[in-house]
Amino acid sequence: MSDIKKREFAVGVFFLVVGLGYLYMTSTLPRKQFIDAAFVPYVLSTIMCVLGVLQLRAASKLVVGEPSAKQAEQPDYSTVLKTLGLIVAYAALLEPVGFPIMTIVYLFTQFIVLTPADKKISYLTYGIISVITSAAVFTTFRYAFDMMLPVGLMN
Amino acid sequence: MLSLFQQGLEIVFTVQILGLIFFGTVVGIIFGAIPGLTATMAVALFLPITYTLGPHAGISLLVGLYIGGVSGGLISAILLKIPGTPASVATTFDGGPMMEKGEGAKALGVGIAYSFIGTLLSIFALIFIAPTLAKIALSFGPHEYFSIAIFSLTLIVTLATGSMVKGIFSGALGFLFSTVGIAPVDAITRFTFGLTALNGGFDILTVLIGLFAISEIIKVAENVKTEKNATINTVTMKGFGFSMKEFWGQGWNCIRSTLIGTGIGILPGIGSGTSNIVAYMVAKKQSKYPEKFGTGIIDGVVASEAASCSAVGGAMIPLLTLGIPGDTVTAMLLGGFMIHGIQPGPLLFVSQGPLVYSIFIAMVVSSLIMLVCELYGVRLFIKMLAVPKHILLPIILVLCVVGAFGLGNRIFDVGTIVFFGLLGYGFVKCGIPQTPFIIGLILGPMAETNLRRGLMLSDGSFIGFLTEPISGAFLALAVASVVLHIFQNHRAKNPLPAAQH
Repeated sequence: MSDIKKREFAVGVFFLVVGLGYLYMTSTLPRKQFIDAAFVPYVLSTIMCVLGVLQLRAASKLVVGEPSAKQAEQPDYSTVLKTLGLIVAYAALLEPVGFPIMTIVYLFTQFIVLTPADKKISYLTYGIISVITSAAVFTTFRYAFDMMLPVGLMN
Repeated sequence: MLSLFQQGLEIVFTVQILGLIFFGTVVGIIFGAIPGLTATMAVALFLPITYTLGPHAGISLLVGLYIGGVSGGLISAILLKIPGTPASVATTFDGGPMMEKGEGAKALGVGIAYSFIGTLLSIFALIFIAPTLAKIALSFGPHEYFSIAIFSLTLIVTLATGSMVKGIFSGALGFLFSTVGIAPVDAITRFTFGLTALNGGFDILTVLIGLFAISEIIKVAENVKTEKNATINTVTMKGFGFSMKEFWGQGWNCIRSTLIGTGIGILPGIGSGTSNIVAYMVAKKQSKYPEKFGTGIIDGVVASEAASCSAVGGAMIPLLTLGIPGDTVTAMLLGGFMIHGIQPGPLLFVSQGPLVYSIFIAMVVSSLIMLVCELYGVRLFIKMLAVPKHILLPIILVLCVVGAFGLGNRIFDVGTIVFFGLLGYGFVKCGIPQTPFIIGLILGPMAETNLRRGLMLSDGSFIGFLTEPISGAFLALAVASVVLHIFQNHRAKNPLPAAQH
């Protein structure tokens, strides 16, 4: 089975899982009459389940040709995963560690992760940009726009 | 109307608001010009700044970002042959070859002039159509609003490119997320998992920032390591670079493309990303020399730019009159309005007339600033193209986080943008369109609330939705658009044999 066909099957399964999961959660809602708070969720979950079946049917009938050179180009998932990890860690630690420190750490590491292969990593430049950006954003929003950005460890 | 115009002029022509429009337009052009950054991202980024500004100032800034962001894409489309935004895809078809032939300055001049004309004409259409439509919409009740919401939802899934099943699923998933929180009418708490932060549902802005800004940053990470720097060509601009004869020769092409752009802009969720390609194809089809399209003629640039920029005024029509966004940027603007406690819709024209007219005037001023800045500041924008993405994108992410946090001073919203960023990236990888999701999320509550209100009005009977003339007409149009789409799909898969006769 080709990658595209597998992907289309996975999408169909995802549709079905979401539809069935939503249907289950809807069934736990209290009912008052036919048209109540559960009516629209029931309609939506039914539509999603039907779409899941249609997607699986379409995937099974899919005829895939030879992959072109462009399709054969593999995305750099290692960089994607590192970026995802950094974003999740940044969001999770923003409150306990604080915006100024977390922003410096995030920017510095993210710059390194995203630096193109043919370019040299300049730790000093990245460090300076990270510190200046974090300080400028924090000062502007905290003092000019009265936004209570978390200070965390600096409290 | 004249007094409202006068009040609008008084609001806009202050140093603060003119400065903000200028700033917004220039930043918008930069965002439009840099491939990977979009007008949606620019608006997302600057929303936190508008919290502390008044509604007039804040919305003027966002309008500047919108107009600059849509137009700015022509710079990279011509100089790099890479569209800065989806709105300028078709500009590359002829703008790129013109650049290669040494006519880059002329291509830029044509693009700038006709994007200005397209924007301006669509703003005039907005000024004349919107108040009339708002007057009609004042008589709409729950039946009409429900049917318009359903019509808009079906339209977006049938007009979205790619798989119809995925388009409908995307819209339904957006609708699903809109059901989180306290239900309309009977106030039952749904799908909150005990989290009080979810009682109010998901904020549209956090969803938009996640879906369109965060997912874009993750997407760029896929190939940023191997990306080679594009060669940036420089040009020297002297005037617009085309003659009056050429200008008049493009008259009908410009008007037709503007009409296409404005019309597509009015339709919910489609906007400038589609209008430029449609207008280009129509211009090619109706041309006396279709074979020259793609070789570097100004007709292609005119069609693309006039259409993409005229979608701006078109997209504002349903936003202001019905509270339905015409594209993703106007969805973001809808959030911007809500931050300031303003609910777009027909009542806006009654309760906030001066604000509405100040938006019209801000749009005209912004398009004039766009013309001057792009004409005389092209060298600056070319320099901006050289800013490395691996530096720019993480800083944008930080600003998105600040924007989300500022909505309610809670970390929960930061988590929400990350969640929707991941979902948006998943959409990209699975070929699921994102726009129907946003339309489903925005129109879902409108459809559900008005369905229930309409049923209460007609004692639980669905007949009211069919017998009310406007409601019935929109439901019929919704069914017709789905049937037509299925028929077209079927015909595309099973074409008639060519040699039957």
